[in-house]
Amino acid sequence: MLDQLGNGLLLGIIISVASVALSLLYGVTRIVNFAHGEIIALGAIMTLFFSSPVDYRVLFLDKYSPLGYNFALSCILAVIVCGLFGALLEICLFRPLRKGNVGNIAVLVVTIGLSIFIRHLYLLFATGKVQDFPLELQRRQTYLFFDMTPRNLNVLIAGIVVMLIFGFLLTYTRLGKAMRAVRDSEELSSVSGINSDNIILITWISSSMLAGLAGIFQAIINDVRWNMGFLILLLIFAGTVLGGIGTSFGAMVGGFLIGILVQVSVGLPFMEGHTEAKNAVALAIMILILLFRPQGIFGQKERIS
Amino acid sequence: MKISNKFLFAVFLTGFSIYLVFALNPEGASRILLNLLTFAGIYGLSAIGLNVHFGWTGLLNFGHASFMGVGAYVTLILMPHAAGREGEITSTGLPFIVALIIGILSAALFGLLLGLPAIRLRGDYLAIVTIAAAEIFRLLVRDLESITGGVYGIINYTENLQQYRPNFINNFSESLGFSPSQAWVCLVAWISILFTVLFLKRLNNSPWGRALRAVREDEDAVRAMGKNAVWLKLQSFMLGAGIAGLSGVLLAFNYGSLETTVFVPLLTFYVWAIMILGGVGTITGPIFGSIIFWVIISETDRLAFILFENANGQQLAGVRFLLVGLLIMALMIFRPSGLLGKKEELLLDVK
Repeated sequence: MLDQLGNGLLLGIIISVASVALSLLYGVTRIVNFAHGEIIALGAIMTLFFSSPVDYRVLFLDKYSPLGYNFALSCILAVIVCGLFGALLEICLFRPLRKGNVGNIAVLVVTIGLSIFIRHLYLLFATGKVQDFPLELQRRQTYLFFDMTPRNLNVLIAGIVVMLIFGFLLTYTRLGKAMRAVRDSEELSSVSGINSDNIILITWISSSMLAGLAGIFQAIINDVRWNMGFLILLLIFAGTVLGGIGTSFGAMVGGFLIGILVQVSVGLPFMEGHTEAKNAVALAIMILILLFRPQGIFGQKERIS
Repeated sequence: MKISNKFLFAVFLTGFSIYLVFALNPEGASRILLNLLTFAGIYGLSAIGLNVHFGWTGLLNFGHASFMGVGAYVTLILMPHAAGREGEITSTGLPFIVALIIGILSAALFGLLLGLPAIRLRGDYLAIVTIAAAEIFRLLVRDLESITGGVYGIINYTENLQQYRPNFINNFSESLGFSPSQAWVCLVAWISILFTVLFLKRLNNSPWGRALRAVREDEDAVRAMGKNAVWLKLQSFMLGAGIAGLSGVLLAFNYGSLETTVFVPLLTFYVWAIMILGGVGTITGPIFGSIIFWVIISETDRLAFILFENANGQQLAGVRFLLVGLLIMALMIFRPSGLLGKKEELLLDVK
């Protein structure tokens, strides 16, 4: 069971970063974003596009050569592209919907349509094949009591650092305060001189950048697929719900817990030969949490109903 | 009965889309039409069930595929079939009608089970729970290979329904060049729709139907009137799930072999698109929605061949889903009430 701990931590960091992003967006805008997974996939696909060798034509209908940039630079560029994409979604789609007083449930259904649409754009125009980043293979090493490659250890550390910085910004800066104000009441915050449109735009951008980063992590740890975001979306929901929707710290811990639970459950005796069912464990936990403690581990009750 | 302009428009649009099939396919139009009418009947039936959940009661159900799946798997397993990697044959079983009734009841029971969270959860949370439960169901079915055949699926069961095929279908199909078995499934699907619609029309005008819609509008008011809102929600869940179970069985008979990949979340989204297109909260809306939807789907292959030369299966499917996603978005933004729905009857905000 413990040998799965390393894998659990790695799955945990992906879900954790993505859950923080989802939770932030839900907290401020009340949008349950089913298209979140597609922003995650965008991060990975753009990184692949920026970093693959120039003669490596597999992306975008095989028509355009990748750019062959340095890998770190590619990651930064991909995260920026994700941020821009989030801004585009907010300005072209969700802001008009908000101004038109379209209800929450209608917006939820719109995000489902959006998710299906973007996902199959990837399938058709970006990549129908499973691909890996152009990175050299590494051997697993043992750190304390878990095994992982040095690169994956760096991913783990980078993810935790990013989330801590993010949490700090959210808690202690004026911007973070403004975000929380908009979350509590858009009208009241507007009255107090906060430009809620700008705050929501910044929320979309930062949420999308974090999601893109989660996608890059997922691609480094596993691989790049057109439907990689959708495959992990329900686990991200589970992480968000477990920690408590709308709390960044909760989402972070919840994401890790879900990741570890999923991977460790592979080692349970009754799971022998049923590794495909490991996600079912996480989803069942999410349903139980919603039934018996809908505010999650760290959430506050009044934010739920 | 007064016939509204909306209704006439829906009939016109449906007729026009069927005409389009003939116009676009000079050869073999009737065969294409039979295929899409079969799917339209089955998915339309499923959408009618979903409409009981979302349209009538306001329950945001995104796990509809699992209800179809429960109905299909329970029914098939109870009848003679072959399953699994080795195609293990089960030669004894219940007659079709008995198995079907048990299958529908199991789907309804699963609806009750899944409906229990609905007591406590607000709309958007329910959406997440139902889609997660549907995935759990799919993963379990996939893993319980000894019963469900796992990824290898179930085969050799179509005879259970086809043995009741009346002779006139054979003669009729022969003259038109149809597959008689599909023609029979198509007929059964549309007869099921007819009875379901009649049944729901009756329910809709009953005190029970009114109470259900009242739950959607204002749950507290329903409680104040002394109705048990929770039990009403659960009944709605069971009714819709049962209808979905029936459509799942028909879907299995149309495919001829049953695999877990049928019941992916995308199936649910198809049904959602049909329901929104036809009109949320209506009874007959999904029928029109379903036919128009399947005409669009079956003609998108042309689009795929325009976009890609020699489009492969993956690209054909990709273009279809691209359109489904776009359709769901566009409908929800520009015409959430669909063809026949009433805007004031639409639950669009979280309660």
